[in-house]
This record gives sequence, structure tokens and C-alpha cells, in this order.
Amino acid sequence: MSEERDTTLGMFPIGMQALNQHYFANMQLHYLIESTNTGLWERNIDSNEAWWSPKFCELLGYKYGELDTSYIYFLDEIVHPDDRTLVYDSFQNHLKKKTEYKVEFRMRTKELGYRWFESSGKAWPDEKGKLTRVIGAVTDIDQKKQTELNLKKNEFLLNETNKIANVGGWELDVVNMELTWSKEIFEIHELPFDTKPDLDSAISFYEAGYRDTLSAAVSDAIKFCKPFDLELKFRTAKNNVIWVRNKGVPIIDGNGECIILRGIFQNIDNIKLKELELQKSLDLLGDHNRRLQNFAHIVSHNLRSHSGNLQFMVNIFDENISSAEKEEVFGNIRSISESLANTIDHLNEIVKIQTEISKELKPVAFESTFKNIQTALDNNIRKTRAIICADFSSCPTINYVPAYLESIFLNLLTNSLKYRHPDRYPQIICETYFDKEHTWLTFEDNGIGIDLDKYGDKVFGMYKTFHQNANAKGIGLFITKNQIESLGGSIHIASTVNVGTKFTIKLT
Amino acid sequence: MTLTAPAKTVCVIDDDKIYIYGLKKLISIKQLSPNLMEFYNGKEAIDFLTDPENLDTLPDIIFLDINMPVMDGWGFMESFVKIKPQLGKKITIYMVSSSINDEDIQRAKTISDITDYVIKPISPDTLVELFRLAA
Repeated sequence: MSEERDTTLGMFPIGMQALNQHYFANMQLHYLIESTNTGLWERNIDSNEAWWSPKFCELLGYKYGELDTSYIYFLDEIVHPDDRTLVYDSFQNHLKKKTEYKVEFRMRTKELGYRWFESSGKAWPDEKGKLTRVIGAVTDIDQKKQTELNLKKNEFLLNETNKIANVGGWELDVVNMELTWSKEIFEIHELPFDTKPDLDSAISFYEAGYRDTLSAAVSDAIKFCKPFDLELKFRTAKNNVIWVRNKGVPIIDGNGECIILRGIFQNIDNIKLKELELQKSLDLLGDHNRRLQNFAHIVSHNLRSHSGNLQFMVNIFDENISSAEKEEVFGNIRSISESLANTIDHLNEIVKIQTEISKELKPVAFESTFKNIQTALDNNIRKTRAIICADFSSCPTINYVPAYLESIFLNLLTNSLKYRHPDRYPQIICETYFDKEHTWLTFEDNGIGIDLDKYGDKVFGMYKTFHQNANAKGIGLFITKNQIESLGGSIHIASTVNVGTKFTIKLT
Repeated sequence: MTLTAPAKTVCVIDDDKIYIYGLKKLISIKQLSPNLMEFYNGKEAIDFLTDPENLDTLPDIIFLDINMPVMDGWGFMESFVKIKPQLGKKITIYMVSSSINDEDIQRAKTISDITDYVIKPISPDTLVELFRLAA
């Protein structure tokens, strides 16, 4: 480097040979710069002439001197078309607004297609103060840029996924019990982002009954390094009740101690409600199927016993018997035909319950319905001197099929009177009540009762009779059960022999 | 048809009056037995069998129904197994039912005191065969 040129860069004589000569003149500096993987460039602002260092050419896969290095060629042929405006504008801004010239863009290499580079530079004035040249450096940042782009893509995907899946992440530092939440968790809680979460208040968002489950799971995870995955009912800060999934995995240190608990937290309300709905339909379907199968069984069994008898009588008719005997046999055939018709009537009644689609639910008053039944059975009630206490005050009406409610009352009351205790007058207590979800009806008597250990599962069966009672037909409770179940309810019996019977019915 | 063995006493336990009528009639037509007892449920039959006064008139063959009020066929078998040692007589039991439910048939097979399971109605030929086998 000569004495007179040893001044600031801007004082170099204009002309592309300056940096060029300078660069090669000091070989030590030249080697140093060439080995840093940084390319140097210089550009004349007025003439668009440019010079690129050998390293610059090498970064693009060219030999020194192989490329037309003018600024026009650079913009048109080397810079990626999508980045042209960016490169041009930042250059102009640097010149006019003195903003920093530092830009990341893609350049076309000889063999590897476009790659990412970072270029920075500075404009220098000549002795008159006019900006005449720009000198700068360029580095290959392709790998860094690709990683960064991938990261951005992944971050975007993750954010989108989290948003769509309604899921967030949390971390509990077990040592100082510090809890951190991702953005989505605040959103699910419907809390402002600046809320400071802690374990106790986090657990307080869960509904009673689920709080203990989660507390126990967290404590087990910390104590025994046991992961958990729970579906829980949850109440947000804005009082919305939703289902959430909370999954926690302990991070274990070298001593086998849980130091951090990490997990995901997800709003699964939609899925869970659908699942519950599905389960409900499944139960209903299963119920229906069971009743249908039961019905098929009943049909086959009850019709078989009649057809068997009929066949039996015909066989005897074919034997060598007297005309008086034939008369007798025919009498039996007649009564078989009557019971067959009866059975078919009963089966029809059941089919009607099972298939009646137009089960129109109407508000029905318990009181008046029960009164009607009492009036219908008035003779019987008087004869047996039954005392009937009915109290429907805590739940006076229900949305039900009126005919079913009448039938239920009729069957229960008839039963209680029929199976009254011979040593005392019948006492019947009938009540309704409503708990959070269901309407219940209880019906209690002091009759002869039934040994449920012996007959438990058969009480509600068709043509099941348990007492030697001439007018026991074994159809009433069967129909009652079918009507109740067809509307989604259930019936339960408790009984003690010689003490009485109590039916507990979930109506809806 | 002639009787080769001494007349057998037959007992039918069934709540179906028409079936009992038919069975009685068929037994008399086929001259299978002059003595027939009838009970309308298992309990009545057990009461009879356990009464020491009836020790001389115990049946040789029992036709037992399944579905009956008060005590059904299964209940009868439970009690029967308990009192069997006191009876001092071999009694052949046929379970006769209109049930073609496999559960019932299999259950009957597991009870060794039941000789066979017969599905109603009993044909005249089957009835004769059942008497022959019980001999």
C-alpha cells in the first residue's frame, strides 16, 4: 500500500481498479480475507461498474473473472427475481436515507441453484463529498436461513395446530413449584395472558369431583414419577363448563427424582360431548336390542307352548278314542285357541310399546292421573279397605306419554291390591320427586312381598307368576317395565316377604 | 301293547292343565300306567315326596316342567337332590318343557338326576319309549 493512497476508503481515486489493486497488493490481507468465507465487492454508483473478489465468485461457484460483474447483470441475472425489489430498494434507501445496507436475499449459483446470502455495504464519498462508491461484503447464510425458515414453518404449523386442536403446553418446576403456561392455556382458561398461574389456583378451575382426581395424579406424578392422562370437567374464568384433557409426564433427574412435570392441556369439549352423545345412543341401541331379543324369546316361548299343546291334542284326536273323548279333546283345542288369541293380544300390546314412534310426550299431572286410576279401581279399593297415601307435591307434573303413566299406576295399584297381606288392610304410599336430572316415582305397599333372592330377575318377565293366585296373569309388570324402558327410564323392586314391596321408578 | 313290567306310578309336575290332560289321556290309551299323580308346581310335589306317609306310594317316573309358579323345575331339582337319600327308591326324572332354549337344555344335562330332556309336545311313540327306558 503506497503512502499517498493510505487514507480513508472514500478518498480512493474513482475507478474499479482501486480496491482490486489494493486487494491483491497486500497478499497477507488478501489470504486472510479469502479464508474467512466472506466475499468483497465494490460498486461505482454512477457507472454501475462493479468488482467482486475471488471469494465472492467462488461463493457463487465461478472462477474469478468468469462473471460479468456489472450491477445490472447482478440485479437481472444473479439476484432471485422475488428478491430484486428488496435488494434494489435497500440500496437506494441506503444512498438516500442513510439506512443501513444489510440484506438477506437469494443469488443464483453456477451449479447449486439459488442460495441464501447476506450482503452488507457502505457508500463512501469522494473528495467533494459526493457518494461515488459502495464497498461491501457478502457471506453464504444458506444453511442458517434454511434452518430459520424451517423453524418458522414449524412454528407456524405448531401454532396453527395448537389453535385447531385447542391444545397448549404447561410446565411445573417441581423444585420451587413454579407453573408456566403457553398462550393457548390462558385462552382455554379464558384468562388474560398476564395472569400468573400457580398450581392451587389452576386446580381450582376444575369441577368438584375432578379436582381430587387431578390433585392425586399430580402428586403421584411428582412422588412416584407416574405419568397421567385425564379427561376432566372444567369451569373457565368466564363460567363456561367444558371438558378438558390434561396429560402430564414427569422429567426425571439422575437420582430418579421428578424435577419437572411437563404436559399438555386441551379443550376436548366438542369431542367429549360427541363421545358422550354417542355412548348414550349406543346404550339406547343396546337397550333396544336387548328388549327386541327378549321379545323374540318371549314370542317363541309363548307361542311354542300353545302350538305344542295344540299338536298334543291333535295327536290324541288321531288315536283310537271314543266320541265322548273326542268331544273333550275338542274342548281343549277350543281353550288353547282362546289362550293363543290372548297371548297374541298381549304380544301386540308389547309390539305397540316397542314400535310406537309417535310417543307424544305431554305434560301430565300425577295427581289427576292417579285419581282416575283410583276411581277405576274404586270397587276393589273399597272391598279391600285399602288406605292410599299419594303425595306428588314435590314433583306434580311430568312430560310423559299419558297412557303409559295411567298404565303404570293401574298395574302397580292392581298388583298391590291383588297381593295384599291376608292379615291386614293394604297401605299404599305413592310419591314423586325430582333430583338434579331425573323424575322418580316410588310406590310402596305392605303386602305379602316376594322373595327376590329366588325370583329377582323374573319379576318383570312375561307370564311369570310367583304366587298361587287364580287371577295372576304375569303380564302387568312386564308391560309396565316395557313402557318405562321405552321412554328411557328404569324400574327397581325391593321387597321383603310378609312385609311389603317397594317399586322405585326412574321415569325420565 | 302289553305291559311287561309291573305297573309304574307316574307323577307329572306341570302348571299347564291341558298338557296334564293330554299326558293322562295318552298314558291311558297306551295303557302305560294306571296310577298318575299330578302337581301344579314343584313345591306341591316336594311336599308330597317328603311326607313319610307317602313312602309307599312314591312314583317311578316324574315328568317335570320348567316354568311354574312358586317353585319351578330347577327349584324342584335342587330340593329333590337333598331329599333323594331318604326316598330309598330309584325315580326316573324326565324334564319336559316347550323351551328350546339351549341354556335350559345344557343346564338339564349338567344335572345327573335328570335322565333326559324332552321338548313338548311328547309324541305317543316318544312316550312309550320313555316308559321303556325307565323300566
